[in-house]
Amino acid sequence: MLDVGRHPNIELMAYSEVEQVEGSAGCFKVRVRRKARYVDEAKCTGCGACREKCPTDVLDMYNEGHSTRKAIYSWFAQGIPSTHTIDPDHCRVLQGKKCGVCQKRCEAGAIDFEQKDKIVELDIGAIIVATGYTVFDPGKIPEYRYKDLPNVVTAVEFERFLSASGPTHGHIDRPSDILARREIAELEKEESRLQKTLARYEEKAGASSQSVFEAFAAETAPPEQQQWMEKYREYLPLTEKLAALRSKAEGFTTAKRLAFIQCVGSRDLRFYPFCSGFCCMHSIKEAIIAHEHENATTSVIFGMDIRAVGKGFDEYKVRGGNKSNITYRRSRVAEIVNGPNNNPVLVYEDTQLQKVVREDFDLVILATACAPNEGMKEMAAILGIELNRFGFFKTRPENPLDTTREGIFVCGCAHSPMDIPESVAQASSAASRAVQTVTVTPAKLLKIS
Amino acid sequence: MNRDMLVIGGGIAGIQSSLDLAEMGFKVYLVERLPSIGGKMAQLDKTFPTNDCAI
Repeated sequence: MLDVGRHPNIELMAYSEVEQVEGSAGCFKVRVRRKARYVDEAKCTGCGACREKCPTDVLDMYNEGHSTRKAIYSWFAQGIPSTHTIDPDHCRVLQGKKCGVCQKRCEAGAIDFEQKDKIVELDIGAIIVATGYTVFDPGKIPEYRYKDLPNVVTAVEFERFLSASGPTHGHIDRPSDILARREIAELEKEESRLQKTLARYEEKAGASSQSVFEAFAAETAPPEQQQWMEKYREYLPLTEKLAALRSKAEGFTTAKRLAFIQCVGSRDLRFYPFCSGFCCMHSIKEAIIAHEHENATTSVIFGMDIRAVGKGFDEYKVRGGNKSNITYRRSRVAEIVNGPNNNPVLVYEDTQLQKVVREDFDLVILATACAPNEGMKEMAAILGIELNRFGFFKTRPENPLDTTREGIFVCGCAHSPMDIPESVAQASSAASRAVQTVTVTPAKLLKIS
Repeated sequence: MNRDMLVIGGGIAGIQSSLDLAEMGFKVYLVERLPSIGGKMAQLDKTFPTNDCAI
């Protein structure tokens, strides 16, 4: 990534979108909209002083919504370019309210609330489309109860939990426990607010809230203390609730019994009939990493079969089974239900035992399908190319990287589901196809003449 | 004939294509929708089968 940022031949246009493509191979006219960041790219040093004081919290989609970022943000810490961006949907100033703290904090003077989108026209020889994929929404499969049960997450969410830069700093905390801790923090805030109010009353009256409360119960207290008592009545159940939550939180541990469910949305005739190709491997990888984080972790991978096809992949799978407490279970999970302590309970048929089994886990990870990106239709319309029946860009078997329009090539998951090594290989091939489009060879000249 | 290249999407595939083209001496415009490049791969902690860091 860093190489892209500093390569003299690459002009990086982040936070931009292609709007129009005209012309033909060798002489495309492309219009790119450079969306307003409200931060001057030339001045911003990426120091982050602006975001420290920003008052607005927004869900951080880089962490799949498991943490928050500010309205002025960088997509992730090591992002290239490191230029910060103001989110116009959440920034107070851009929503017409008073603020501008970031502008005061920015020593480089980079914040510009007046910035407008810029349109750039480019003369292009060949185009490579590498728009990627989107994670299948497992909410479409009601029996897995994603979003309904807190401890059912997607593989990308789990990846963020495993990451040291993620929402849990690499500890595999269960989302139900995170929610409970968040509730405790909110209640504590409310508690300290009420405590301050009560302390003010107590100081003024020179009596404790409890004694006045008792006087009230005996109907001997003066009526002007009514307000005080209302606050105290609010305070009592709050402390009880907080104590109960705290004692529950003492028993919280990280997730140690993991279940991975394969083929969520893929190899499923209701959604995508194709195999997404990389999910078996990333489930094994996540199980291995989770075991590295904590040796007591055990994982069960539920799948129709484990497809470890690639250089060194099968050895990786065997190693996971031998050294990382992974069990591979041939089964298609029928349903996930809620068990005690928010533990998801998997209902499945164990095909080797020929029995229906109910088994509970700490955390369930769904290996979601590689689905075509949102906006593929619009992108295809802009580029003037066709999609295949699944919604990926259409290619021909004899020229697997050529789209239906000459001079436009596709690689990576916009082509079809594939893993990182394959994406990289395809990307290099697409680059070479693109060069062939714009180089004049004697053979081409002969063809023209 | 124009010799400049346009790469749409700054994930691992777009990054690799851009670097290859740039190394071959072509001017490359890399367009990314999000504020930073990296794509899905930047969200990954480690990659298989070598458990290398993704970023």
